[in-house]
Amino acid sequence: MTNGIPYSDALGNYTPQRFREPSNDQTKTRDLLEQFHPDYMPDSMTTLRVGPNQGDVCHKQLADVLQSDARIEEADLAGANTVETDILVVGGGGAGCTAALTAARNGAKVILATKLRLGDSNTVMAEGGIQTSVEKGDTPQMHYDDTIKGGHHYVDKPLAAQMVMDGPNVIRWLIQQGMQFDVDKYGDLLTRRAGGTSAPRVVYYRDYTGLEMMRVLREALTNTGIEVWDYNPTVELLSNDQGHCAGAVVSSLKNCSYTLVKAKAVILATGGIGRMHLNGFPTSNHFGATGDGLVMAYRMGAKLRDLDSFQYHPSGLAYPQHLAGTLITEGVRSAGAYLLNGHGDRFVDELGPRDHVAAAILRECEEGRGVQVNETTRGVWLDTPGVELRNPGILKSRFPKLLQLGRKCGIDPAQKPLLIFPTLHYQNGGVVIDGNGCSTVRGLYCIGEVCGGIHGKNRLMGNSLLDIISFGRRAGEHAATEVHGRPHSNVSTEHLSELRRQLTLADMPMENQGPMLFPDYAKFETDSDYDGLHKAK
Amino acid sequence: MSETSEQPVNLTINSKSITAPGSLSVIQALWHAGYPRVKSVGCLEGVCGSCRIMVRRADSHELKMELGCQLLVEEGMEVIFLVFPNPTHHTYQLEEIKNSWEVQDKFHQIFPEADHCRHCGGCDKSCPKGIEVERGVELASKGRFGEAGELFVECVMCNFCMTACPELIAPNHVGLFSRRVTAYFHIRPSNLINRLEMLRKGDLQITQ
Ligand SMILES: Cc1cc2nc3c(=O)[nH]c(=O)nc-3n(C[C@H](O)[C@H](O)[C@H](O)COP(=O)(O)OP(=O)(O)OC[C@H]3O[C@@H](n4cnc5c(N)ncnc54)[C@H](O)[C@@H]3O)c2cc1C
Ligand code: SF4
Ligand code: SF4
Ligand code: FES
Repeated sequence: MTNGIPYSDALGNYTPQRFREPSNDQTKTRDLLEQFHPDYMPDSMTTLRVGPNQGDVCHKQLADVLQSDARIEEADLAGANTVETDILVVGGGGAGCTAALTAARNGAKVILATKLRLGDSNTVMAEGGIQTSVEKGDTPQMHYDDTIKGGHHYVDKPLAAQMVMDGPNVIRWLIQQGMQFDVDKYGDLLTRRAGGTSAPRVVYYRDYTGLEMMRVLREALTNTGIEVWDYNPTVELLSNDQGHCAGAVVSSLKNCSYTLVKAKAVILATGGIGRMHLNGFPTSNHFGATGDGLVMAYRMGAKLRDLDSFQYHPSGLAYPQHLAGTLITEGVRSAGAYLLNGHGDRFVDELGPRDHVAAAILRECEEGRGVQVNETTRGVWLDTPGVELRNPGILKSRFPKLLQLGRKCGIDPAQKPLLIFPTLHYQNGGVVIDGNGCSTVRGLYCIGEVCGGIHGKNRLMGNSLLDIISFGRRAGEHAATEVHGRPHSNVSTEHLSELRRQLTLADMPMENQGPMLFPDYAKFETDSDYDGLHKAK
Repeated sequence: MSETSEQPVNLTINSKSITAPGSLSVIQALWHAGYPRVKSVGCLEGVCGSCRIMVRRADSHELKMELGCQLLVEEGMEVIFLVFPNPTHHTYQLEEIKNSWEVQDKFHQIFPEADHCRHCGGCDKSCPKGIEVERGVELASKGRFGEAGELFVECVMCNFCMTACPELIAPNHVGLFSRRVTAYFHIRPSNLINRLEMLRKGDLQITQ
């Protein structure tokens, strides 16, 4: 590894300044990505050998779980309880809660089963805000164009168009659930810019947008007569005779047993993959983000897409070590914070697309202009004192959470810059869906971060919170209508036999079992508290 | 540089003796020492309220409620993880409140206990976010929901105040109710409404 400028030297050289020359770097995004973005790291990708995406490129670590054996055997289910419901929602983040609420209000009987506490999710951490075009100089068309461009033209266009048109109604719906937004003295929604947007378009609540959204959705949900099963990770889907999705196998961390849930429709809303720590990167994601939904959907036969594309957020905290990976909201850069290398120079347009900015940071570090703390820790400066100089008081009034983070680091962001490094943030790809959230498998809906297509190969800030509510509502409504009056069908794990047959045929190792459920360091598989739920082998 | 320490400290977590660097949080220290931990772990960022712990520090007899992903370990600390308590018995739907003139009346029907606050301060003492919970309950009781809600901006619904309250007021739900009615009845952004009107009339289209 090339060594950068030692931390204490770099800090010694740093003095807060109101303005600094912009970078004149003209490197093309494509060239920068190919050289420095983790998605392009040699040997990190492979080709899938079984399943609906056979032949497609996929990240190696993800391929390992997509092509793994199931965690459960037929025998595990022999004594299992069976429960019936119209709709089973898997995952209690923003997407799952929205779908469950909407389905229940449309008359369906709903069970929502989630891995840990209801609301423990990426949603609760999404403090930056949510995109919707409401400003005078802005239009849904501009929002759409930015989304397509940001996604490097890999976007499923009708999905993106539908989502941006839904935007204003999504905000209205959230306000009707009791969610607050920041407004000006006339009561108009305040907006801020996000990287890659052509107009100020992100609406927000302080730097607590996701917290506010999640606690309101959870409160609305628990007051709606929906059965909530918390601490109940789903480990497998169930199929019927026609190969449609007809329910799921849910495991209870409370009494260490499996339950078969027969459902006329299953809505998967399990979120992202950050805790797979792809390429050894730290992550901004919550503890349960282990890609379970992708694995379960793939085994049922659902088509996935863009499995080689992940978002590394430019501003993860690099130092101190125990907070590495913690996200610093893009809002800070939107408010004008510069990125500086170890020489104190700006090296990129701070509000460029995330993948471009992340790759530029990696370039500075690779080429010796980064700040080096020790063997493994390096990064660049987020120039928060500069913003504070230009707008005294702004950190306190708009970024209380950043100041709190500073306290935990022993660094006052108003005085000293923070060291940042890209952090694994978002799964761009995922399950292929249509405008109602239907996957390619009947009876299986997928919504939120587990899906692909809406954001192409790079998501813009604020578009994910929009996507989860927009598609959550649509899927909830569609599923409720679909299941109305339909009978239950017989359920089986027939698709798992098929999976095992295919793995054997392709001569694949069967030692690995998925879904992961928890990252290794939590030691779930050896925790005697959960005897009975461990992997079969 | 940072003042957090890499020095190892000794403490007990769920009565297991543990040695870990002082720069780690309670959850990280458990993992560091090789113990499993799944339940009570969540966002790891202090916003989901899952990681409820009770702490006694070496120099004190007092029990403090904290979040296990936020609190850094200290020499001689005793830590116990708490399970998640039962949900509150209060239920309501915002749609049941016909208009903003009725909010105060409805509030007292939904949260009848809120008037019985003993001002014991139990809620304030147990709040890991330093929220003025008791004052929030008092303001809500007087119908000052905007002000009350404002106090609960950082509430992560960890339910510590709810467990602490001898009158079963569920102060955090009082806070959230105050916030929700404020949005439901009073947030009416004209820029949003104007945009919704344009969409309704079909004035805005997308060319793909
Ligand atoms: C730190 C951070 C900041 C962000 N900031 C923004 C922002 O400012 N604006 C924006 O638009 N987006 C932002 N994002 C992205 C956005 O938060 C997420 O993409 C979005 O919230 C995903 O919502 P979701 O409901 O699909 O998944 P989640 O909210 O992650 O919910 C998934 C749920 O499924 C559960 N689950 C997982 N596996 C299983 C299983 N096997 N069985 C049962 N349940 C399971 C999880 O425990 C979790 O409760 C941010 C993300 C992070 C991590
Ligand atoms: S107000 Fe209550 S629920 Fe909210 S953070 Fe404080 S103790 Fe937890
Ligand atoms: S704990 Fe309950 S009774 Fe005591 S001050 Fe708080 S709200 Fe009032
Ligand atoms: S794990 Fe979410 S608050 Fe601690």
